[in-house]
Amino acid sequence: MPGLAPADSAGGGPDSVNGALVPYLPDSHVSAIYPLRHGLNPPISRVSVSWGRGNSLRVSVFRQPDSDGGEVGGKVVELTLGKSRDGEISDTQWRKIAYGSVSPFALLQSRKNSAASLSRMQLSPSPYHLEWWEYVMEYSKDISALLGDPKSVGAPLIEDPNEVFIKKSEEPSSLKAAWELMEMFYVDKLSQAWLPERLVDWLADYDSLISVDLPTVHSKLVEFQSKIVTLQVIEDDPRYWDLISSALAVGWLEIVTENGLVEAVAVLISKMPRMRPAIDAGKHGECFKAKPDFVKAWERWRAQITKLDSSAFWVQCDNRQTREGLKNVLQIMLGNVDVLCSATCHWMELYISHFLYIRPFTAGLESMYSLAQNCIRLKHTSNPHKLMRLMIGILGENNEVVLSECSRGFGTWMVAHAIELLTAGSNEADFLVHEERENLGGISLEELHRLVYAQLLSSHLLTWQIAPIYLTSCMRQGMGMLEILLLKQPVQENQVLLKNLEICRLYELDGVSSRLMEISGMYHWKHGRKGCAVFWLQQAQDEVRLSKIASQLFESVGKSISGESFKQWEGLIELLGSEGQPAGGLDFLHKYRDFKKCLQHADSKKDADAARQAVESLMSLMRNASTPQRFWLPILYDAVKLLSWDKRPLINVSQTNLLLNKLQELSLARLRPDFVEPELPTHALNHVRYSLATNLGRAILEES
Amino acid sequence: MEKSLATLDNGTTCSAWNYSGQRLATGSVDGTLSIFDSCDPASTSFKCTSKARVGESGVVKVVWIPPLFGDAVACIDGNGSSSLWEELAEDAQAVEWKHCKSFQSNSAKVLDVQFGVFRTILKMVVAYSGGQVKVYELSNPLELKNWQLQAEFQNLTDSVAKLAKASCFSASVSWNPQRGDGQEMSFVLGFNSDTPQLNSSKVWEFDLDHQRWVPVAELALPEDRKDQVFSVAWAPNIGRPYEVIAVATHKGIAIWHLGSNPDTDGRLSVERVALLSGYEAEVWQMEWDMSGMTLATTGTDGMVRLWQSNLNGIWHEQAAFEPAT
Repeated sequence: MPGLAPADSAGGGPDSVNGALVPYLPDSHVSAIYPLRHGLNPPISRVSVSWGRGNSLRVSVFRQPDSDGGEVGGKVVELTLGKSRDGEISDTQWRKIAYGSVSPFALLQSRKNSAASLSRMQLSPSPYHLEWWEYVMEYSKDISALLGDPKSVGAPLIEDPNEVFIKKSEEPSSLKAAWELMEMFYVDKLSQAWLPERLVDWLADYDSLISVDLPTVHSKLVEFQSKIVTLQVIEDDPRYWDLISSALAVGWLEIVTENGLVEAVAVLISKMPRMRPAIDAGKHGECFKAKPDFVKAWERWRAQITKLDSSAFWVQCDNRQTREGLKNVLQIMLGNVDVLCSATCHWMELYISHFLYIRPFTAGLESMYSLAQNCIRLKHTSNPHKLMRLMIGILGENNEVVLSECSRGFGTWMVAHAIELLTAGSNEADFLVHEERENLGGISLEELHRLVYAQLLSSHLLTWQIAPIYLTSCMRQGMGMLEILLLKQPVQENQVLLKNLEICRLYELDGVSSRLMEISGMYHWKHGRKGCAVFWLQQAQDEVRLSKIASQLFESVGKSISGESFKQWEGLIELLGSEGQPAGGLDFLHKYRDFKKCLQHADSKKDADAARQAVESLMSLMRNASTPQRFWLPILYDAVKLLSWDKRPLINVSQTNLLLNKLQELSLARLRPDFVEPELPTHALNHVRYSLATNLGRAILEES
Repeated sequence: MEKSLATLDNGTTCSAWNYSGQRLATGSVDGTLSIFDSCDPASTSFKCTSKARVGESGVVKVVWIPPLFGDAVACIDGNGSSSLWEELAEDAQAVEWKHCKSFQSNSAKVLDVQFGVFRTILKMVVAYSGGQVKVYELSNPLELKNWQLQAEFQNLTDSVAKLAKASCFSASVSWNPQRGDGQEMSFVLGFNSDTPQLNSSKVWEFDLDHQRWVPVAELALPEDRKDQVFSVAWAPNIGRPYEVIAVATHKGIAIWHLGSNPDTDGRLSVERVALLSGYEAEVWQMEWDMSGMTLATTGTDGMVRLWQSNLNGIWHEQAAFEPAT
C-alpha cells in the first residue's frame, strides 16, 4: 500500500531528513498523490471503486458517452496497495519469501505458546526464559536464509582485471541487510561483545546498497576499477592511494594487502587485532575473544605502527606518491580522525572506521548513538537511506521508530516478522507491541501488523492460502478477518471450495463452512446441477432450502410420474433416498415415488396386487417420522383412490384409524401461524375426510 | 502500478463487482446489463460473457445480490424503476441472464437498493425519491420472484411523525455487514433531499420482538442534522467492540463510532471521531476494505482517495489517485 497508515504515520516525517531522531509524530503526515493511468480520452464522467482480494482496489473509470459510439466507454484498472514499490524484489521472489517464512513463523508461535503455558503451570519464571533468544535466533537464521546471500566485498579476484577490487556477485537486498541489523542488535546475545566488528562485516556486505544516491567507498572502488586497465603504474596514481586508505578505513583489509602494498605495511595490516571470536578464511586480522588479550595485542600493534611511522624507511622511499600514500595508511591505522574522515564518504563508513581504529569496544547503545550523531554531523546527507533510518532508530533505542521504519522502508512482511526480533531484545519493546490499544479497536501493534500483512497476502491468488497462519496467530480480530477472507473466495470452483472447507475444519469455523457450502449449493442449483446442489445443501444441513427443494420435488413427482421430465428427478430421488446420507427430510421422497408408481399401476390396470402394494407404501409413508407434515394432506388426497376401491376395502380398521389420527394432527397444526397450506383443490380436505369415514365403515363391516 | 482488467463499451455508466471479485456487472445508457468474467481464475483479464437488455431507459446503478441467493443483480434504471436479474440454467438449457422481478413505481423513483442477509433470510431496502423507505423480504430462498413488503417508513427519528411528500435527489443505504447471526439486522440510510428532517443518516435496526424497524441512532451533530447526505458506508467489523460508519456530506466525510449496547430508550451511543474535510468535491461513493481499516472514496473531483486512522486514532488521507491518460 502507499504505506500502512498506522505505521507509516508513526514517524519519519520531514524531521527525519537530517538524521535527527524522529519524535513520535503521528500527525505530521502528508498524503501523496499518485497518477492513475487508465488510457481513456477525456471527458471522464465518473469514477467508481471496489475492493477486490485483500489490498487490491479496482477502479472503474467511465467516459462521457459518445454520440458516434466510436470510443471505448470505460476502463477498469486494479491497484494492489501495500506492495513494495522499489522493485528490488520481484513478485516471484517475494512469494518465495512469503511461503518460506510461514514455517519458521509458525514454529516460533507454537514454541511461544507452549512456553507460555509452561510458565503458567509453574507460576514462576521458567527455565525456557533463559533460552528464548536462542529460539528467536533460530527463527531469525531461517528467515535470513530466505532473503538471499549477501555480496562479499572482500576476496578480490586478481585474474580478472575488472574484478580487482570488487567481486561481482548477486546484488544484496536491503531487506536482508535490515534483517541482519535487527538480528544483531536485538537477538544475537553472543555477539553483543563484538558488536563493532559485526557492524564492520555488515558494512562490508551492504555498503553497495547505501551508495544509491551518495558516493561511498564501494562506489569509489567500482569507479576506479573501470579505469584500472588503462593505468601503467598503479602506485603513481593518487586515486589508488586514496582508495587504499578508504578501504583500510572501513576495514576491507584484504583489498589493501593484496594490491601491491609494501611488505612491512601489508604484514602489519594483516596482523591487525580484531575483537571477535573468529574470522572467515581469507580475511585478515588476528582474533581475540577476551578483552584483556585484545587490549594487549592492540597496544602492541599500535606500537609497531608508531615505530614504522617514525622509521628511516620513509627517507629512503623516493616515490612521492607511494611515500605519502603509505604514510596515510599508517595514520589510518593510528586512528587519526582527520585522515579517517577524509578517507571515508558516508557517515556509516566513518562510524565503522571509528570502531576499527579509535574505539574498538562497545560502551552501550547510548554512546554508540552519540558517536553516530557525531558522524552524521560530519558527513551530512539530506536524504538518508532507509537502512540508515532504521540504524538510527535502533541506536536511538526508539522502538516506535524502528517499527515504523521497518514498515515504511521494508514493507508489511518485514514488520510482521521483525517484531519477533525486536521483542526478543527488550521488555520495553515487548510491552509496546503487546499493549492493547483502544485506538486500534482493542488490538495490539503486533496483531495490527499481522492483520495488515495477512491482508496483503490475501491480495494474491497464490498467497491467500497462507494468510490464515498469520490470522490465527491474532488473538482478537484474526478470526473475524479469516471469516471474511474465506467468504470472499469464489466457491463455485470446486477446488477452491474444498480448500476453504479444509481451512474451516482446521480452525473449527463451522458456521463459515456451512455458509460456503450453501453458497456453492445455490450456485449449482441455479446452474442446473440439482444433484450437486442437494449434496452441498445436505452437507450444510440447510433445512430451509432442502425443505423448499422437497416441496418442488414432491410436486414434480406428483405431477409427472408418467412424464419424461420425471426421469430427471429419478436420479436425484435415488440420491436422496440412499442410506447414511443426512437427506434433510428428503428421503421420504423415495417412498413417495414408489407409492405413486404403484398407485398409477393400480389405477390404470385396476390391479388389486398393485393396489395392495400402494397401500403398503402409503402406510409406510404415513408411519415414517421423516415425512414432513405439510405433505400429509397431498398424500392422503392421492390415497382417495385406494380408499374408494370398489371391490372391497383395501385399508383395514387400524390402518384407517392411523390415517384419521394423522388428519386430526394436521387439523391442529393448521391453527399454528407458520403452517403453510398445500396447493390443493379447496374441497380436498373434506374429500379425504369423507373417504376415510366411508372406508372405516366398510372396513368395520368387512372385519366383523 | 495499475493493471488493466477490462475495457467497457461506449455508454457504460455504472459497474459493480460480485462478492469474490470474479465477476463484473455493468449498466449502460441504452439499458444493457453486461456481465464480465475472466477466462480462468488466475487471469486478470475480464471479457464480456453475457448481455441482457434490462430496460428501455439507461441503467444508473447495478447492485449484486448476496451469493447465497445465486448470481443475481438488481438494476435501477433512469426512470426510477428497478428489476432483478439472475443467471440461470433451466432444463438443460444454456446459462442465461433472466428477468425475475420488477419493482414498478408510480410516482416515486427508486434511488438506492441494497440487500442484507440474516440466516436464510434475504431482505431488500429500497429508498425512493419521495422519501419513503420500503423493506422487502424474499419469500422463497430458492427463487427471486416473490417478495413480501415487510415495512414502509420514512427516514425520521420520530417514527410516529409523517411528512408530506418530499423530493429527494439521491439516497444511500448501507447494511451492517455482520458475519455472525448474533446481531439483529441493521442498516444506515441518508438522503440528499429538500426536506431537512429526512436527510441525516439514521441507523435502523429490526426489532425482532415487535417485528418492526426502529431508528436506533442518528449520525449527525445537532447543527448538521439538516445537511444533505451524499453517501454512507458501514465498515466490516472483524472484532472491534464498536461499529464504524462513514457519512459524507458537503462538510466532509465523518467517521462515526456506534456503540453496541443500547440505553434505556433503545438508542445506541454514537461518537463522531473524525471529520475529513479539505475535500471540496461531492462524494459519489465510499467503500471499506475487508478489515474495515481503510476507506476508499470517489467524488466529483474525479480523485480516488484512501483514508486511514493512525495509531493514535487520528484519521487522515493516506493517499490519493488522480486519473490520468
